[in-house]
Amino acid sequence: MASPSRAADSADRIYFTLVALIGGALLAYFAAVPVLGLNVAFHFYLMLWITMASAFNVASGFAGYMPFGYVAFYGVGAFTTAILVKKAAFPLFLALPLSGVAGLVLALLFAPTLRLSGIYFGIVSLALAGICRLAITNMPEEITGGSFGLQLGSRAQPLQSFYVMMAVMVLALATILWLSRSRLGKALRATRDDAEAADMMGVNVPLVRLYGWLISAFFPAVCGGVEAWYTNVVDTETAFNTLITAKTVIYAVAGGLGTVTGPIIGAVAMVWLDELIWRQFPLLNLLILGVATVILVLFLPRGIVGTVLRRKPHWRRYVP
Amino acid sequence: MSAIEARGLTKRFGGLVALDGVDLRAGPGETLGIIGVNGAGKTTLMNCICGLYRPDAGDVLVGGERVTGQPPHVIAHHGVGRTFQVPRVFRKMSLIDNLLVPVLDRPASDSELIGRAEAMLERMQLIELRHNYAEELSGGQQKLLEMARMLMPDPAIVMLDEPFAGVHPVLCKFMIERIEETARAGKVVLLISHDLTSIYRLSSRVMALNQGRVIAEGGVDDIRGNPAVIEAYLGT
Repeated sequence: MASPSRAADSADRIYFTLVALIGGALLAYFAAVPVLGLNVAFHFYLMLWITMASAFNVASGFAGYMPFGYVAFYGVGAFTTAILVKKAAFPLFLALPLSGVAGLVLALLFAPTLRLSGIYFGIVSLALAGICRLAITNMPEEITGGSFGLQLGSRAQPLQSFYVMMAVMVLALATILWLSRSRLGKALRATRDDAEAADMMGVNVPLVRLYGWLISAFFPAVCGGVEAWYTNVVDTETAFNTLITAKTVIYAVAGGLGTVTGPIIGAVAMVWLDELIWRQFPLLNLLILGVATVILVLFLPRGIVGTVLRRKPHWRRYVP
Repeated sequence: MSAIEARGLTKRFGGLVALDGVDLRAGPGETLGIIGVNGAGKTTLMNCICGLYRPDAGDVLVGGERVTGQPPHVIAHHGVGRTFQVPRVFRKMSLIDNLLVPVLDRPASDSELIGRAEAMLERMQLIELRHNYAEELSGGQQKLLEMARMLMPDPAIVMLDEPFAGVHPVLCKFMIERIEETARAGKVVLLISHDLTSIYRLSSRVMALNQGRVIAEGGVDDIRGNPAVIEAYLGT
């Protein structure tokens, strides 16, 4: 038998080869979408949901939180971009990273809630998202555009925003891939499984959780900004729609929390299913999607990837 | 100077006095057995030492340095490791990753740490299961994993809370050998157990607690025949 360390090196080689091949193929596919004349809008939103579900996975699958108010980061990011571009005449490529910074600031404001756990954290998170929405709704109309929202005017560049969304997705996935193998990722998973035991093993639990929380907040805020640019309009009704949280959670859970591939596969499967149902039953799509989600959770409670890895433990070394 | 020292540790939970002015000291290579009936305060004493509970009075010193009131992760960095009465492994992490958690802040390279973790799993006869999730192990194997995890950062003080509870006799014997090795390596071992045979075999000194107080302390022979200990255990 090969020594454990040599076997680990070989597993690492397979892992990185798989990541490079699958990642490269996906990248090439998405990059070719506009060139091949495929549905740009569908693929834009597919990338957006992959990013959202993957970033949510950091807070939930890695750190063990269930932020039901996750939409707050998305909404604040969307409004930050819109306000900076429309009201302060910022260039879009500066406004987008700043929307990520706004997400980080909001995450820092919410950080005291990380002391809570389970359903209590979820409820407080939902309430805080509601507060964010109310705060923006009640801001002066000259800033947020009131009930009509803000329109970005002639700045719409669907193709450019498509490729920017792709860049954001790649950055998010690269970050989460790094996290999954990093010491921070291991510390986060330990706090998820047993925070007290992790603390007694030398893990600075509050600090580790904060890092995970910040990573998880940055990407939805940028997604909100890119989507605002793509659709050219932002209003509180859509930017803080609870369906954004719901879809993010469903896609991540469907694929399997705690793995890098889970939310990607979950988002691809469910967005595709959503599209299919919507085309066939435009009035019943949410109902049918809801039933499909219930069936999925009942029969695959660990998600698609989680169930596969449960049944094939030796694949865990190769599947991120 | 003692490697670990507790002075007048007191811990109350509402009206219940779980620890009442407990003193403890132990030096390198010494195994201090801590015995007592259920509710005597043994685990509370460990929880106060490792920082999980903040004592209401008294002090904890590690290597002569006062660590009272410090958070558990800071006390762990002072070289205090522990196991738990009911295993608290990181259930959805592989055995290798479980062992890496206490050494994440070490400057050593990842491959070096993984090599050490594999050697530790080899020592605990768990190497074949290194990629399994901890939740897939039996209760006894989880106890071994906890012991391996505790030893990974090479702590000066190891605290074992009921390591033999619910463990098969063959595994028990294996664990006893590992504990003896640990003490021979010059570490302080604080050992809580209801299994008096193991306590008497392993301990160089024994401390008996009852209702949060130290009722007896001394060599194994002193404790075995101590009337206060016999009364606390047998009620006669």
